[in-house]
Amino acid sequence: MATHRPDLGNASGGSEMRNTNKYEKSPKTTNMVIVILLLTIPLSGCVGDTENDRELVIVTYDVYALTDEVIEEFENETGISVTILKLNDAGSILDYLIQHQGREDVDLAIGMDNNFLGTAIEFDLLAESDVNQVGIRSDALGPYSGPLATPFDMGYVCLNYDTDQVDGENLTVPTSLWNLTEEEWRGKVALPSPVTSSPGRAFMLATLDYFDWEDGNDEFSNWWTAMKNNDVIITSGWSEAYETHYTGGYGEWTEGYIGDAHITVSYCHSPGVESWYNENWTKSASLDLPKTSFLQVEYAAAVNGGNIETASEFINYLISPDVNSLMPTENLMYSVLEGQDLPEENGYLLNSVIPQQPSQISMNEISENIELWLEEWNSAMTSGE
Amino acid sequence: MLDCEALTKAFDKTLFKNLDIHLGPGEILAVLGPSGCGKSTLLRCICGLESLDSGTIRLNEIDITNFEAEDRGIGLIFQRPVLYPHLSVSGNLSLASKSGHEEALEEVGLSGFEGRAVENLSGGEGQRVALARALLAEPNVLLLDEPFSALDSDLSVRLLKDVRQLLKKRKCPAILVTHNQQEAEMFSDRILEMSD
Amino acid sequence: MRRLASAFAVMLYSMLILIPIGLATQRLILVTGPNPYDWTKSLSENYISQNVLEFTLVQAVSSTLLTIIISLPIAWSLGRHRWPFESLIRTVLTLPFVIPSIIAAMGILTIVGPYGLDIRTNENTWWWTLIISHAWFNMALIIRFCEPLLSKLDPALEEQLRLLPHGRTRASRLKNLWVPLLLPSVVAAACMTFVFSFTSFALVRWITVRDNTLESVMAEVSSSAGIQGYMEPTSDIVMGASLIQFTILLTSLWLTSVIQRDRKAILPQARPEHVRKPNSRGWLVIVPALIFAVLPLISVVIGSFRIRDLGESGGGFRWGTDGWNQAYHGSFSFAPMSEAILNSLGYATITILVALPLGYALATTINDLEKRSPNLARLLDVFTMLPFALSAAMVGLGVLLGIIKLDVSSAYQFWALPSLAHIMLTTPFVVRIMLPAIRSLDNSYDENARVLGMGEFSRFVKIKIPLLKGSIIISSIFVIAMSLGEFGASFIVAKNSDWTTLPLLIDAWRAKPMKDPLSAPASNAVATVLMLITMGLFMFAERFRNNRDGGMF
Repeated sequence: MATHRPDLGNASGGSEMRNTNKYEKSPKTTNMVIVILLLTIPLSGCVGDTENDRELVIVTYDVYALTDEVIEEFENETGISVTILKLNDAGSILDYLIQHQGREDVDLAIGMDNNFLGTAIEFDLLAESDVNQVGIRSDALGPYSGPLATPFDMGYVCLNYDTDQVDGENLTVPTSLWNLTEEEWRGKVALPSPVTSSPGRAFMLATLDYFDWEDGNDEFSNWWTAMKNNDVIITSGWSEAYETHYTGGYGEWTEGYIGDAHITVSYCHSPGVESWYNENWTKSASLDLPKTSFLQVEYAAAVNGGNIETASEFINYLISPDVNSLMPTENLMYSVLEGQDLPEENGYLLNSVIPQQPSQISMNEISENIELWLEEWNSAMTSGE
Repeated sequence: MLDCEALTKAFDKTLFKNLDIHLGPGEILAVLGPSGCGKSTLLRCICGLESLDSGTIRLNEIDITNFEAEDRGIGLIFQRPVLYPHLSVSGNLSLASKSGHEEALEEVGLSGFEGRAVENLSGGEGQRVALARALLAEPNVLLLDEPFSALDSDLSVRLLKDVRQLLKKRKCPAILVTHNQQEAEMFSDRILEMSD
Repeated sequence: MRRLASAFAVMLYSMLILIPIGLATQRLILVTGPNPYDWTKSLSENYISQNVLEFTLVQAVSSTLLTIIISLPIAWSLGRHRWPFESLIRTVLTLPFVIPSIIAAMGILTIVGPYGLDIRTNENTWWWTLIISHAWFNMALIIRFCEPLLSKLDPALEEQLRLLPHGRTRASRLKNLWVPLLLPSVVAAACMTFVFSFTSFALVRWITVRDNTLESVMAEVSSSAGIQGYMEPTSDIVMGASLIQFTILLTSLWLTSVIQRDRKAILPQARPEHVRKPNSRGWLVIVPALIFAVLPLISVVIGSFRIRDLGESGGGFRWGTDGWNQAYHGSFSFAPMSEAILNSLGYATITILVALPLGYALATTINDLEKRSPNLARLLDVFTMLPFALSAAMVGLGVLLGIIKLDVSSAYQFWALPSLAHIMLTTPFVVRIMLPAIRSLDNSYDENARVLGMGEFSRFVKIKIPLLKGSIIISSIFVIAMSLGEFGASFIVAKNSDWTTLPLLIDAWRAKPMKDPLSAPASNAVATVLMLITMGLFMFAERFRNNRDGGMF
């Protein structure tokens, strides 16, 4: 249901893991606040900004890496006061920036990925920042290496399957995407929609490369139509596919669980995350077929018209080793820094896969063609039986 | 005292035209006519709840034709008692005056009714409370719109007698409209007949 | 003075409704082009919306039928028998209708989920669950519309019929008396049920899997709608869905009002004590009905204390208040409950401060106009009902696309904005509740006060307000409860922002990662708080309800 719900990393992070609480107040203060608020409600819409010399307004979504400690430390170190505007998901950040273009009310956007970055650049929403990108690994800079955005975490989107069900007896491990259009997989594949979900879009992009999309080659459309005819489950967001339908992950512990799909889209390191949470046990595995995975990089970017100086300071802070090394455990994504890998603890690293041959579609191609591709995907999915 | 000249009012048909009414101090007038002839409308025009098509009304030599009803100082007793259900008898009287409730109730023969809830009053009692309230407001003129027509005729006659006595005692001029010849004769000093 | 107030009220209301909707529409049309055919065509051409209209219609019709089948026997036994604790029974049966649907969704989900009956496992079962949930939600409508007629109809009518050739059998009395008498009420209530099922959002979102009503599909695509050159099909979907929804709702509401006007025929009435028979088998209907009514609500409370235990076996439960604790303190992703309560109360306060005076002024204006120019009065009457045909999602989109995205100041700084949506949604209800009360207010009360020399203000304070006290309190409570429980519009407005309210927090706890065993109990805990507030408000309102003449409220 949540649109653009991006990744197992951010999505599965149980809050029991973190004791930080950006909202905590003492009960007494709360009571006082209640009284004051009730008295001033009609006025409270007019309360202006706090008077502070150096300010930073960040628009982001529920990026778990931005904990209270992380923000507070930054504020203490720099004297900049940070305001965080937390939106629903990664796609909303782009929507927000487009809608508020020229408003000069936001300085920094954190959490857009390479699916959206091209559009953001095309719309001239971003500003060059003054960031030292030395130390960022080259694959993180693969999709984009310019001055308009800086990667802060990454991961490969790929198919995950339930090894209990896909065991060679009930179901055989697919060796081609076409296997999924066969009868044994009828109704057992759950994919997030590329229209509303960012991992869903990443997977669709992977299939474009897999089927060598170009004018006159219908393989891409044919496969998606065949999937539709094989009762593929299309969900609006990642979490619905992974939690509600997929049998291989933690979804079975959730209330809305249906459990009718044995393969779904998540990250190549999602099984690692499952294992890390479940004390070195998982039944989920990544499917490492050539050109079915897609590198997703999340960016921090200074916003055109905002305060580039404070934005740059925060970006530098975000890619500093101290903060960025927290990504695997705090944000459940890879760090973008050279020499920082997933922790070995509880099989996190062991169960995570770096795909042999990820799909190659450049960011420019994406922003140029995405509307066309979504349209083609849509007509493939709506064409008659 | 009250001088109405050339009063004219029409809805779908003409109700009255160029009607003159003069009322001296303490005088009681009865307007007699069949139902639907416009008697009630005449009273509503005089007290200002309805506007005239033409004509002037002067009270104590002051032209009140364009005054709002609440500014005219003319009282009206409706056909059925209009008592406010959210208020007690005393609360209803308070709408006219904060004091003098005891005497006012005594005058209309309802001593001790102050605390009563209005829904427990009979029709006759209700109308007497309305009368007490109207008198408490010390109107220059009191208008009565068939005030006891809903009651049986014995009671109606008795109440009219009481009211006449009361009005005379207070020297309060009044206009009664009725369709009952006997009531009109008994209650008033002078009768004005209206026809269809 | 009075006319000035009327003119001001009409103007303010028009601005509140027309400006957001107008701006939003203008913005969308810039993207979609002006051709309504293209908009509606997009519904069938886009994968996300292709079966939505069919699903919406079929489920709404099915829900309506099931609601009638379930509720008529309840209305009959409630109306025709004597009941101890009658007002308590009536209140309990009305609860489902007044409880915010997001709470119902949580309760029903807990019942049918894998740790309850575990029946929500395939398309068939969740479809039926949805239909039954809609029947649960709407049964109060049928009961409230039909029960007064059943309990007050002069028994002489039926007794007389028994002695006539065409009334000797139960079936013939049903045919010749009860069906013709009840039909208008049933049809009117059915129309309302259809409208509520058609625009169902929270229940569809939570009970079904990947099914959408027109309402929920609009919410789904709302964030990217209205942008030129970017995800343009979403704008088409919004326009197409709005157009169809608006047309269907308007038709249903028009039908309801026509039927209701016709049913004003005055029937000979008797006091319920004379109509009602001693109760023998009525319990067989009422007891299951009462259980049906409270079950989802109780399960919300139970669910708030039941915590999944990730012990050795993995599937067990333990009982505790950790969920409450979690909800109270919040977490990294979720605001603490106090913040949501404060926001919700704040929005409700603003809503009532505007909606109540505005609704009252509009109702008075309509009442005044009815004497002077009936046509103008009818026009205004219909105009004030128009927002009923604007669903919550459409209002939310209006505020989002019409105001937030055009706003000169940053949207997230304008804390009060969600209450604009609430004002748009609640003002019509105030008018609907106040208008009959103002109409039935005997004009001689006002006239008599005038001849006693009371001025306009004094009459307003000492006469009008006290006489209308019941309706004022009921509509106030209604506005507060609606604002506190409002989900659809807030969901869309809040999607692009930082705001939270109690219903949004309930949704957020449930929608976000469920690896955390405390998120479901925390969601239920917030739902329990909202439910208790709502129930308290309505119990309070019940004391001021002096007539049970079949209104919905």
